[in-house]
Amino acid sequence: MPDANPRNLRTVRQINRRDILFSVARVPNTARLLVASNDNKVHEIDAGRDNATQRDLADHGRYVTCVRLAGNTIISGGYDNRLIWWDLQNNRMIRTLENAHARQIRQLALSPDGTKIASVADDMLCKIWNVANGERLHELRGHQLRTPTNFGSMLYCCAFSNDGTKLATGDRVGHVVIWDVANGRQLSTIEVPSLYTWDGTQRIRSIGGIRSLAFSPDGTQLAVGGVGQIGNVDGLGGPSRVEIHNWSRRERVHQFQGQQQGIVNRLVWHPRNNWLCGVGGGSNGFIFFHNTQTRAMIHQMNLPMHTHDTVFTEDWTTLYHVGHQRIVVQEIRP
Amino acid sequence: MSRKSFCGSADHAVSRRGFLTSMAALAGGAAFADMTALQVLGTPAVANDLRANQKRVIMLWLAGGASQLETFDPKPGVPTGGPFQSIQTSTPGIRISELMPRMARRLKDTCIIRSLNTRNADHGSAARIMMRGRMGEPSVDYPDLGAVMAREMGLEGSQVPDYVSFYTATEGRNMSPGSPGFLGARFGSMDLTTSMVPENIRRAGVSEQDHRERAELRNQLSGMFERGRSSSTLDSHNQAYRRVSGIMANEQLFDIEREPQRIRDRYGNTLFGRQALAARRLCEAGVPFIRVGRAWWDSHAQNFESHQEMVPELDHVMATLLDDLEERGLLRNTLVITIAEFGRTPNINSTLGRDHFASAWSTTLSGCGVRGGTVYGRSDAAGQRVAEGEIGAARLFATIYRALGISHTKNYYLGARPIPLTDPGTEPIREVLA
Repeated sequence: MPDANPRNLRTVRQINRRDILFSVARVPNTARLLVASNDNKVHEIDAGRDNATQRDLADHGRYVTCVRLAGNTIISGGYDNRLIWWDLQNNRMIRTLENAHARQIRQLALSPDGTKIASVADDMLCKIWNVANGERLHELRGHQLRTPTNFGSMLYCCAFSNDGTKLATGDRVGHVVIWDVANGRQLSTIEVPSLYTWDGTQRIRSIGGIRSLAFSPDGTQLAVGGVGQIGNVDGLGGPSRVEIHNWSRRERVHQFQGQQQGIVNRLVWHPRNNWLCGVGGGSNGFIFFHNTQTRAMIHQMNLPMHTHDTVFTEDWTTLYHVGHQRIVVQEIRP
Repeated sequence: MSRKSFCGSADHAVSRRGFLTSMAALAGGAAFADMTALQVLGTPAVANDLRANQKRVIMLWLAGGASQLETFDPKPGVPTGGPFQSIQTSTPGIRISELMPRMARRLKDTCIIRSLNTRNADHGSAARIMMRGRMGEPSVDYPDLGAVMAREMGLEGSQVPDYVSFYTATEGRNMSPGSPGFLGARFGSMDLTTSMVPENIRRAGVSEQDHRERAELRNQLSGMFERGRSSSTLDSHNQAYRRVSGIMANEQLFDIEREPQRIRDRYGNTLFGRQALAARRLCEAGVPFIRVGRAWWDSHAQNFESHQEMVPELDHVMATLLDDLEERGLLRNTLVITIAEFGRTPNINSTLGRDHFASAWSTTLSGCGVRGGTVYGRSDAAGQRVAEGEIGAARLFATIYRALGISHTKNYYLGARPIPLTDPGTEPIREVLA
């Protein structure tokens, strides 16, 4: 069957909610979503039904920012600094890692084989954990606690390469570290300052940062997403922006900006290199598909809410977006 | 201009007399003309008198509108509450944002007011209200708090300015300028925008003789212009000029490099920290009103990250300033006001921002005349409305005046028209006052 063409992207369902959803994972071969909410909980939602049902799972007591699913185990993190392992089938907690980080946890990335999970947090550490037993495998230190102007920094995102041997982490000021997962050593660093706006004249504060990362299928390139330079840091009125770097040569090979203003919160690189997909938003949301070989934009469109995360089905034809008070289901039709 | 503006308390009378006596004695010395205000303060009699009695204000102006929910009125656990927790302060039962751990530990000198409803959520007009304590009216150009303090607490013959305003960011600077209103330019602010040192102050390369000759030339030209003219505006400008001229000999007053490294480290290496340290130096030298503008808090997007960036700085600077003032014996006569033009909406918008909100927000008063370690007023559970103790700008200002020993019912006169310091019928908040 030929790959679906992103130009045929259509919205098929919207589920309105009262909460803000920051992260989504999907139960394989189903429309059952696991979402991380600002109501402090992880929920399971069946997005395949018009009247979506919901089941409450882990309760962090504070904003939940990230959730991933490894087999039958849900792992979630949030502003409570904890990581919670949760048994999806039996709906019970497996373990809680209190003070997994010293500050709020921003994102989780699951290794392709499902055995390791990486967490990043505002203590500026990345930690790699054994999914099976919660043991910490590595603690990765490569990001500064303070920004160059002496404010606290933030560590937003992480992503594994498709072969699981490399991990990238990206912070507020545009510093990216690529790690060797086997031994926890730094392989390289790259700088992407265009995604960080420090306004030292008008407003004396900053906005932006690296919000999304994705390795190319062969692992040689790294896509880095966020928002470009912003004139007025009161809002997100800057161009949605992606840079692609050859990380081993520390060389930027391509960059592009979307039509929409806002921040690229999630990047997904198609495993056969058909496209790079990004979602995010400003006041509204957006999605784009970019051809990384021809360097042309394939398709971009607005989404009805600022979008924080997305997940694809196994056949890459259905997408589940989560964000501000809404879940949106889209399909790429043949 | 004679100033009989003190509240009438014995404290003030003694202070003013003591100061003037000491100044007169010093003025007789040949060396006086070259002494800086800080050197004057080095004279024990003067310094002690000033420190004991002169009231001063340092205003930390959070321009653009800081969020009460991420500072002094947290609401964790409700949909509007945001991601941050509250923490226990040094006063049992009072909790503030976890972003302010240092202020939580030293709430003893601070009263949090959580019930401001100022009914104006436009930057410019709200800033004018919160700098003056009242709405403007077409026929009266009201002075702001700094000008009133300059008028009430400025000392005759003082070598230091009466009203200094730091505001370096360009955004919002013109929305809340210092304004002496009908009091005249003499009580206007010395605005420091591009530098922490007044731009025209005497610098290396301008000798003492140059400085003196410039003043003589200016006096000569001014005298020629004034001949045959009489105007209160001219008088006011001339008074302001004489004050500034005196200040020009006081470059070191603004120079925080003269502080020990240990002190500079304590305030931190941020612009806000450095300006707060300069404010403390000015306060110590007897400047009655200093505003340190920290802009720009207008977080319509990414509110939580903006506050995660800025509130720890506020916490650090405010707590350090209060500690420093206390250790120097200045806090009991210095009122530190931490305020903005408004707060921010409880509702979280689609870009994780909070918007302008004047219906239920917070301010703090610390130090002079204030019952520390307390909270006045209450917002409702979601932070949408004032649930208890609602006040507007007028009552806040009446309370500020009262804390400083200034009668809030005092009248100024605009021609024959009496202009009370606060709108008639306004009462200070007794519960806030020590």
